Amino acid sequence: MSNPGFSARKPQAGRRVVSAIVVLILVMASVFTLFPIYMGVLNSLKSEGDMLNNILSFPSRLEFGNYADAFEKTEFMRSLVNTVAVAVIGLAGIILFASMAGYKMSRTPGKASGFLFGLFVLSMLIPFHSIMITLVKISKELSVQGSTFGLGIIYIGLGVSMAIFLYHGFVKSIPRDLDEAAVVDGCGEIRLFFVVVFPLLLPVTATIAILNLLWMWNDFLLPLLMLTDSDDYTLLLSTNMLFGEYNNDWSAILASLVLAMLPVILMYILLQKYILDGIADGAIKS
Amino acid sequence: MRITKKRKQTLVLLAFVFPALLFYAVFMLAPAFGGIGYSLTDWNGLNPTYRWVGFANYTEALTEDPFFIDSVWFTLKFVAFMVVLQNGISILLAVLIESRGRSKVWFRTIFFMPNMISMIIAGFMWLFIFTKVVSYIAEHARIGLLDQSWIGDPDFSFYAILVVSLWGGVGYLMVIYIAAIQSVPRQLKEAAAIDGATAIQTFRNITLPMIYPAITIGIFLTLNSSFKVYETVYALTGGGPGRATQAIALNIVEEAFSFNSRYGYASAKAMILFLIVFAITIVQLRFMKNREVEA
Repeated sequence: MSNPGFSARKPQAGRRVVSAIVVLILVMASVFTLFPIYMGVLNSLKSEGDMLNNILSFPSRLEFGNYADAFEKTEFMRSLVNTVAVAVIGLAGIILFASMAGYKMSRTPGKASGFLFGLFVLSMLIPFHSIMITLVKISKELSVQGSTFGLGIIYIGLGVSMAIFLYHGFVKSIPRDLDEAAVVDGCGEIRLFFVVVFPLLLPVTATIAILNLLWMWNDFLLPLLMLTDSDDYTLLLSTNMLFGEYNNDWSAILASLVLAMLPVILMYILLQKYILDGIADGAIKS
Repeated sequence: MRITKKRKQTLVLLAFVFPALLFYAVFMLAPAFGGIGYSLTDWNGLNPTYRWVGFANYTEALTEDPFFIDSVWFTLKFVAFMVVLQNGISILLAVLIESRGRSKVWFRTIFFMPNMISMIIAGFMWLFIFTKVVSYIAEHARIGLLDQSWIGDPDFSFYAILVVSLWGGVGYLMVIYIAAIQSVPRQLKEAAAIDGATAIQTFRNITLPMIYPAITIGIFLTLNSSFKVYETVYALTGGGPGRATQAIALNIVEEAFSFNSRYGYASAKAMILFLIVFAITIVQLRFMKNREVEA
């Protein structure tokens, strides 16, 4: 080390070459990742003829008509409101009910609580396709099929077990003294939970909110099976319907795809750090 | 006094668990157990009544339904490719990104982005790439290799589905692997570097064994998601041409909701899917947990 001679220089140069190769690979992978999104946005701004002329070039004239068309045909605002409504109902139910159940099962010793916890965890291996046929039948009988509210309710049933699992684990890391002190103060069970415990669960609540929001927002099959009236369609269903109707008019289809992506991309830009942390956290704990 | 306290505790437990349990029982447990029951009947959408047929649906699915059997093989092949490639590429990206300085945040952000987008939307977007853009490039740059019928020819559409699934799934596992690599103690790597280990040696002898638990998770997640592959195939090929790219999930949905409405029969297929996923996952977890202990 004290004598940086000729021999020490060689690994230095070698390291630089390796570093350049690494950067090259990462840049190429980034280009590959962004390419379809970039092409989609680019061609959504072209007229049909402009697209056929040169698919890779910039639009010769910006064509916003595709967007106006897609916005209207997918009833964008209504679909967006429907999607938000489903997600809000699902998320509120999952967070409220799972936090209560996860907390109490974690704090109560004994067989009953162990059995209940096992019952919830049981379903985490069952693929959705194995329950969907009977789920459709049950939903019809309970008349929750065919409404955004009903869809939100179903998501609660499907989403609670994973959330309970995460809450259950997290509560163990909170010292018992905190809630026991409150009990001594004469705080009722319900008040204790909402005033003292629930705020402490915030980190895991954030993780659960992100995971479930992404799941419900991007889920296609369940809404497809449950929503029958196009007035109730979520963003994905409206986009899917438009795709079927436009059949090869790509510039219009691409505009609708970009519109459908817009909310999640915006969310990603705003909440990126929380989303990435939440994903890593959720996966490692489950 | 003691007993009443315990009883009160149980009552409070039930009160807290009840709302979650109610929704869970109605929309998860009941359909799961109901599905087992219906898979043993000839229930369909047309007749109001149905009768018990024992395991007839299962034997029919496994012996007399070539489309279902093809869909099982197609899915198994897809899963095998996904397990190897998705985990391999994610680990590679995670290691390369972690070797970077400030730019690592940018790369991480870019590679995760596809996970934000529904595979239905992404699938349609890729359909545009495969049918319009790739042929344009192949024609103008004269790259014969690219000039294939990526969607129309089943030999190639398998790879189209694979590419899109990897595009959509790699970032998720990469985030998990990055977290695992970051938890490898720095001293271990430094000690290896002082001992003159090359980067590849350090990776193989230190990083890889240390992130083994993350690989167990990564493979588990890949198995779980790729057996259920639906949206990507629906958007790209719709299962076609013919039924050449029909994954199990598409076969079940078609059986139940498209034309025959054979709910009982489709439920049996759904149970077979569950049993395959369950068996393979259990074997994988057993096998990898054992190796984890050794490592």
